[in-house]
Amino acid sequence: MGRLLEVENLTVSFRTDEGLITPVQGVSFGVDAGRTLGIVGESGSGKSVSTKAVMRLLPVSARIGDQSCIAFTDRDGARIDVHALRPGARALRRLRGGEIGMIFQEPMASFSPVYTIGNQIMETIRLHKGLRGAAARDLAVEMLTKVGISNPAARVDQYPHELSGGMRQRAMIALALSAGPRLLIADEPTTALDVTIQAQVLDLMAGLQRDLGMAMIFITHDLGVIAQVADEVAVMYLGTIVEQGPVRQLLKTPAHPYTQGLIAAIPRLDRIDNRLTPVPGEIPSPSARPSGCPFRSRCAQAILGVCDRTPPPLTRLGGGQSVRCHLHDRARAVA
Amino acid sequence: MVRFLAERSFGMIVTLFMVSVMVFFIMELPPGDFAERYAFRKFSGTGVTITPADIAAIRAELGLDQPAVVRYFDWISGIVLRGDFGQAYAFDTSVNNVIGQKVWLTLGLLFATLIITYLISVPIGIYAAVRRGGAADYGLTLFSYLGLALPNFLLALVLLYFANLWFGASVGGLFSAEYAEAPWSAAKLWDLMKHMWLPALVLGWSAMAYQIQTVRATMSDEIGKLNVTAARARGVPETRLLLKYPARLALNPVVSTIGFDVNRIFSELPIVAAVLGLTELGDLLLKSFLDLDMNVAGAILLMLTVVIVVMNFVSDLLLAWLDPRIRLGG
Repeated sequence: MGRLLEVENLTVSFRTDEGLITPVQGVSFGVDAGRTLGIVGESGSGKSVSTKAVMRLLPVSARIGDQSCIAFTDRDGARIDVHALRPGARALRRLRGGEIGMIFQEPMASFSPVYTIGNQIMETIRLHKGLRGAAARDLAVEMLTKVGISNPAARVDQYPHELSGGMRQRAMIALALSAGPRLLIADEPTTALDVTIQAQVLDLMAGLQRDLGMAMIFITHDLGVIAQVADEVAVMYLGTIVEQGPVRQLLKTPAHPYTQGLIAAIPRLDRIDNRLTPVPGEIPSPSARPSGCPFRSRCAQAILGVCDRTPPPLTRLGGGQSVRCHLHDRARAVA
Repeated sequence: MVRFLAERSFGMIVTLFMVSVMVFFIMELPPGDFAERYAFRKFSGTGVTITPADIAAIRAELGLDQPAVVRYFDWISGIVLRGDFGQAYAFDTSVNNVIGQKVWLTLGLLFATLIITYLISVPIGIYAAVRRGGAADYGLTLFSYLGLALPNFLLALVLLYFANLWFGASVGGLFSAEYAEAPWSAAKLWDLMKHMWLPALVLGWSAMAYQIQTVRATMSDEIGKLNVTAARARGVPETRLLLKYPARLALNPVVSTIGFDVNRIFSELPIVAAVLGLTELGDLLLKSFLDLDMNVAGAILLMLTVVIVVMNFVSDLLLAWLDPRIRLGG
């Protein structure tokens, strides 16, 4: 049996009025049962698009490349080729919510304002657990209890606007987990929350993951959060994964200049007198991708005549860490 | 919810009171004295000489010499307590007799129009939004622009022509000849419905075109929202998802403008009715104004405005049912 989720060479393009843009280009990642993959990157790096592709949630204008493969192993051990599923197929509906749960950045916007949170949680339960009526309601209340919502029997009948932001995100987690998915995709789940609430929610998610033994893909732009939750991390830049590896090793010995820059940009309390060092420049638009290495326009160590000519190949560094950077490629070539 | 109901009901009653005062004020506005006209009509050609004293007597008999406040309360209490709209002077009978069945036919036509309008515009608007950018969307959009641009009476004439050509139907009037004077029966009702759909379609035409645009725009907005993606991500089947989440909210602007639609339909009623040869209230309203028969005019005006106020109330209630944020004051 392979990995729980295996994404191979994923390319996503959109047809727009300005022509074809490709926000995700040849991305490969995977996650094992019970483990957590963190995906880090700035906005526009393609991290949300990649995970939406896994759930087939991209708009109709999106095209997934022919070479791409998204394979998920379901609870019966069957390998599902997600990309090949018909839209509206039963297997796809079972996958969504049943096998893979998803939570989003905006807890307010992810609930419909005109139904109670209980209604929306019970919808998931009815669809995937086959429970109805009082049994569905009991499970919904149980899930709300599990995510630490006080007075869940009353909360279940409340509307999203009656709950606070942190409370809503907890309810969203309860919803996503109510069908007992084996993978949870969390798309910046704490970004819209206050810092103290953020820590609580992260804590909660880590605890639930341990208890339920599910895998998690955690998307964030915050390396500090990744350090807390992830086992493995993939750093995305402009639609490609520039560096990937076990989280401790990668944070200790970052190989890619972009990863190094991200780590340098984390505010640290023990060096309060130091000024923050941001990564210079801005992420280019996917329609104006630089030739060669996508990061070269912001890279201080770019090698003229190399980095602007050929895209860097994948270089394995040992210990499961890999990087796409000519600096390491050249080092190997010299050695 | 109880508080919401109480508030809205109170608001409606206050509005109804103010509307009735305004209607009464309008009834008082026209220059000229009905007593004089009444005397002239009744006694001209009879050789009887009318003295100012006779006119004063008629005035006293009709109660026209009372102060306005007294007459208002006489008038409104008659309506509210006994359903009596007073005397139609020009016809020498009660207003209830003059208006009678026409009120019910007009209301029937109004509701038929509303139902046809929403039955057609809501599904089309939703469909166009779901298939946004497709051939069906462009076709329907074009159709609805045509609806907005075309005057109703012109459409009435065109439809009249084609309905005659294709169905050979006598589209004038609300009843076939054999049912016009017949007592109510299932067959007569069916006959009425057969005659009503065309005027209802014509009357609803511009409201339909407008609502298609509204539903399409709101639906397009709602479809793109995160809560729809979130519902999709929990495996809700697509059709159910569209109906449960975005479509329910797309109904909001439609429901909240029911009152406007009623108003629009009433404004277009007289001219469309004239073209289609319907004998309904619009005609009677004009005639009663010309005759300065203010009790008839007032009764019609009052009923039209009451319908609009009540429909606004209904639309408030429906809106509260559709969107809990409104009834819970969120």
